[in-house]
This record gives sequence, structure tokens and C-alpha cells, in this order.
Amino acid sequence: MSRLRSVSSKLIATSLFLGVAALGSAWPWSSSKEIKIGFVAQLTGGDSYIGQAAKLALEDRVKEINAKGGIAGRQVQLITYDSRTQPTEVVAATRRLIENDEVVAVIGPEWTAASIPLGPISEQAKIPVITTTASNVKVTLNNDNSVKPFMFRTCFIDPYQGFALADFAYKDLKKRRAAFIYDVGSAYSMGIMQYFEDAFAKRGGQVVAKEGFQALDTEFRAQLSKVAQSNPDVLVVPVGTYRDIALIAKQADALGLKFQYLGVDGWVNDELLTLAGRELEGAYLSSGLSTADPQFQAYNDQFFKAHNVKATIFAYYALDAMYMLESAITTSVAKVHKVDSVAIKNELENMKNVQVFTSRLTIEPKTHNPHNKPVIIMAIRGAKWNISKTYTPTD
Amino acid sequence: MVFFLQQLVSGISIGSIYALLAVGYALVYSVYNFTNWAFDAFMVTGAFAAFYGISLYHMPFPAAIAFSIVMTVALAMFVETVAYRPLRAHNAPRLFMMISAMGASLAVVNIANLAFGGSFRKFPEITAGAYRLGGVSVGRMDLFAAGFACVVLGLLWLFLERTRFGLGVRASALDTVTAGLMGVNNNQVALIIFGISGVLSAVAGVFFGAKYAVYPYLGTVTIKAMIGSIIGGIGSLPGAVLGSLLLGIMETMISSYISSVYRDLFSFSILVIMLLFFPSGLMGAKRVVKL
Repeated sequence: MSRLRSVSSKLIATSLFLGVAALGSAWPWSSSKEIKIGFVAQLTGGDSYIGQAAKLALEDRVKEINAKGGIAGRQVQLITYDSRTQPTEVVAATRRLIENDEVVAVIGPEWTAASIPLGPISEQAKIPVITTTASNVKVTLNNDNSVKPFMFRTCFIDPYQGFALADFAYKDLKKRRAAFIYDVGSAYSMGIMQYFEDAFAKRGGQVVAKEGFQALDTEFRAQLSKVAQSNPDVLVVPVGTYRDIALIAKQADALGLKFQYLGVDGWVNDELLTLAGRELEGAYLSSGLSTADPQFQAYNDQFFKAHNVKATIFAYYALDAMYMLESAITTSVAKVHKVDSVAIKNELENMKNVQVFTSRLTIEPKTHNPHNKPVIIMAIRGAKWNISKTYTPTD
Repeated sequence: MVFFLQQLVSGISIGSIYALLAVGYALVYSVYNFTNWAFDAFMVTGAFAAFYGISLYHMPFPAAIAFSIVMTVALAMFVETVAYRPLRAHNAPRLFMMISAMGASLAVVNIANLAFGGSFRKFPEITAGAYRLGGVSVGRMDLFAAGFACVVLGLLWLFLERTRFGLGVRASALDTVTAGLMGVNNNQVALIIFGISGVLSAVAGVFFGAKYAVYPYLGTVTIKAMIGSIIGGIGSLPGAVLGSLLLGIMETMISSYISSVYRDLFSFSILVIMLLFFPSGLMGAKRVVKL
């Protein structure tokens, strides 16, 4: 009898506990529950350097937030999944974050081809996605130019990058004959090439050669020899990873070919300067951010001390996304008194002059792009980045 | 003409790296009738061992190559003992060995990625610059790598043709079961073959790292080497060298004269057509002289 009593008391205790737990989870204003934020990043695969520093930066930031009491009084949990640098993995990981982990927002992925499929997924689940460096316009816009309601980004867009590069090549460098070596499988690479060509032709320049390669190729000598035959005065290399341009520059050097290189934000990684700083002496490139910017020096030093790896612009962009979410969650909770992903999306959409990691940020409601995000033109001199000009879009 | 010669030189230089790995594929296939899918792991180990040998322990280049070979041979023998030998002992289908090797390979590559990070590292410069011969530029590193590959392949030939162990390997290649009955220790032969594969992958890894960069996923190039060994006639060592050089030259010529965008489409279409006419590859017809 006493055994039966003991079993039934355990049963009652268990059901009471489960009931309270269920009530707690259903309660709209449960301060004990963590706010979950998802992060989909390239942690393995050919471009894993992109996601690895960003992951460390976000983890540091979440620790800081939690040490200060969290966001709107609740602790933050970062759930990171590896995209293995494959768009299909990005879709699977994002679905898992939304459906199983019940995150309120997702940060990442880092590139265009993986970000575009997330438009309908984010819209259906009503969970905002902030991509970090996916710069193609179609990431946040549909084909009819209507905005994808739950897609946002922290970087600039390719048309402006293409324009800035073409304008700089024509006016500042006084170049008239441009050649391209580009990644045939990358919407980013092809997009910038198209925008550059349009802007360059409008000014009177001419594109004399276009040679493609495939992702993860290591041999560029055939393309380089062919490009050299068309006598370009500037070689534009819009690639998403610094490895490609490092190999291109080294192989051109070995072939005895000299080019005036012009590059894009995909080049930006301090390792490039070690790999091919000598061969790229005098090259110019556009970027949204630079690790050489003095405002980041203290952060870079502290990051290197903590992790023994260098901070990258990918870390900065991911931090911008986290700051955007901190602001949007705080203001949305103040308005609707609960953590709600639609309310967060509304706050992101109407974000004005908010201080994020790199600058003050305003989001354009009609495009979900950062407003007037400047393009920096940097030169490589003495194996160092040197900021030489800044293009700021005007209204 | 200069343009053509330049492309030829580039093609041979690409093919010479494929050749080192392709010979490893051919060697394993000739004895066991299966392809070792763990070559990328061996190559990555070789590249990283030499890289850290030089940059952390300040080894001179010959010492770094020796260190790289020791590490890679140890890994190759470990993979043979752990991933292949138990399956062979149970007469497991060849397909299972492939899966087992893929597992070993994924494990090593991912450990490298997690332990060292995914960035691309510059290999300390061994030799730089180029010789110019009548407008054609031949990279010193390319020459050095190709020369070294020739020496390694020459030594391998001597080992197989002139030593008792080599005789055992050749006997196993001819007929593994009969060689076993005649007293050849098949497990020992397997260790030797994987040891040799380790040496070849280590050298290929070091030169690939030195020519391009050192990163955890550099082993993806092994797929090209496997194709090279198939063109040459899988199982044939001279065929593997020939097939790899042909593949390297073909890729460069197509990129230069047709289109770099369609390089793989054309290269692989030509391969399919070639295999229609030479179903056992270029030198695989006489299967009795595989080594």
C-alpha cells in the first residue's frame, strides 16, 4: 500500500511539474526562457575561413550580452549550424533552426546562391533572416522588385560595388580596356561583372576579354595567358574568396605577366597579403569594410589575443547582424511585451540610425538593404591595405 | 606557337602532380582491384606536416619532406590496418572498403579543418621565379616538382623491379590469391603498397601546397588523379603517368583554345569517347604487365 502511495505521489509530482513547465512555455512573458538566435555559417568546406571567425565573434558577443543581463531581461542562446558551403545544407540547417530549435531569427548565410532560397522559407515561417555578405539584389527582392518580407542584409549591394569599381577604373585609374577572370558558378561574381560592364561602357570603356573558372579550381594559367593576349589595361577579378585571387596573382607572376588588378570585397582577408601581397602590389579593390580601419584596431587585438586567429570583415558583418537583432528585439518587446518574430521583423524593417558594430545603420523598408552603405576603395601597398577612396551613395 | 608551347608547359606541370597521385591509385588497384578513396586524407596530411615542419620547427626543406613522408606513411599504414585489413579478413565486398576509406578520409580532412582552421596558408618559398626560354615561361617550382616526381617514380620502379619486396608486390598484382599460396605475405604486401601510396601522396601534397596553398580541402584534386589513372588504364603505372599528363594538357588546351567555362564539359566528353575506343584505358589492355 505504501509502495502504491509512493508511486502515485511520484506521478502527481511529475504531472504537476510537467503542467507547470507546459504553462511556463505557453506563457507569453516567460522571463526564464532563453531567446534563441540561429546562425548558419560556413564552418567546413572550401571556404570555411569565412564562417569560423564570425562564429567566434558571435559567441563572444552573446557572452557579453548575457553577462549584462541579456536582451529585454532574457538570456540569449546562439545555435550554430555548419552549412558545409552548400546551398542545400543552408536550407536544411535553416529549416532545422526554425522548426526544431524555434529560433526567433537567423543570421547568415554568407553568400548569394545560398541566401536566395531562404526567401520563401523565411516568409512561410515568419522568421527574419539577416544575411551577412550576400550582396546580390535578388537576396532581398523578388523578380518584380517587391521586397522579400523576412530577408535582410548587413552588407552593400553589388550594383553599387560594380558602379564604384567601374567609375574608379575609368576616372581615377584612367583605364579603358578591362578584362575579367570570373567564377562561372557564382551569381555574385557574374552580377558584379555585369554591373561593372554596364557602368564602364556608359563612361566609354570597353570589356575586351572574359575568362571563367569553376569554384575550387587551382589552375588559372590558361585563362591568364588568354586574357593577356587581348591587351587589357585593367584585369578585374570578382571572386568570392581570397584564395582564387592569390593563386591568379602568383601564377601570373610565374608566367611573367603584369596586370593592374581590380578586385572586390570577396578578396578581403588579411591572409591574402601574406599569400600574394608582393604579386598584388598596386592592386585596388572595393570593400564595405576593412580590417585596416583604425576604429577596429582595439577589437582586432582583443580578438587575436582571445582566439589566436585574426578578426575578419565576416566577423564584423555577423556582429552587425547581432547588434541589429539586439536593437530590434529590445524595441519590439517594449511594444508588444513578448518576443515575437513578426514584431522583430517590423522593427528591423523600420530601423533608423541604430548603432551597430561597424557604423550607424538605417534599413530601407522597400529593399531591406542598409541605406547608403559606402563602398571603400582600398589599395594593396607594401603588403598592407590602404584606404584610398570612399564612395557613398546619395539619395 | 609561343602561346601553344606555354600552354603545353602549363599542362605538363599540372599533369605531373596528378601523375604522382595517379600512380598511387594504380598501385593499389593493381593488387586489390579497388580504388583507395583515402588519398585526399594522405595528401592533406603530407602538406600540413611539411608546412608545420618548416613554419613551426624551422626544418630545412629536405627534412620537412622526410617528416611529411614519415607522417603520411604512418597514416596510410594506419588506414590500411584499421579500415581495410579487417574488411579483407572478412571477405567484405569491395564497395564496403570504399565506404570505409571515405569515412577515414572525411575524418582526417575534418580534423585538419577543426584543428588548423580553414584558411589558406602560404607554403614557405622553396624556389621562386621562372626561366624564360624564347618567350615561354617555365616556373622553377614547376621544374623542381616535375623533377622530384620523376626521381620518386624512378625509385619506385627500381623498388618494384629490383627488390625482393617489389617482387612480392608484383606477384600479388598478378594474382593475389596464388601469390598468397606461394608464400607471399599479403598483409605485408598491403602495408608496403600503402606505405608507397603514403610516400607518393606526401610528395604530391607538399608540392601542391608549395605551388598553390596549404588548406584542409586541397585533396579535392585527387579526383583528377583518379581520372588520370583510369585514362591510362587503371592498374597500370606507366598508364597512370601518361593518363595524368594527357589530362593536364587537355584541360589547359581546352581552356586556352575553346573555353575555360566549358573545360570540364569538353575534357570529360573526350574522356568518355576515348574510353569507348579504349575500354581498359590507354595502357590497360595487356593486363598481365600491370607493374
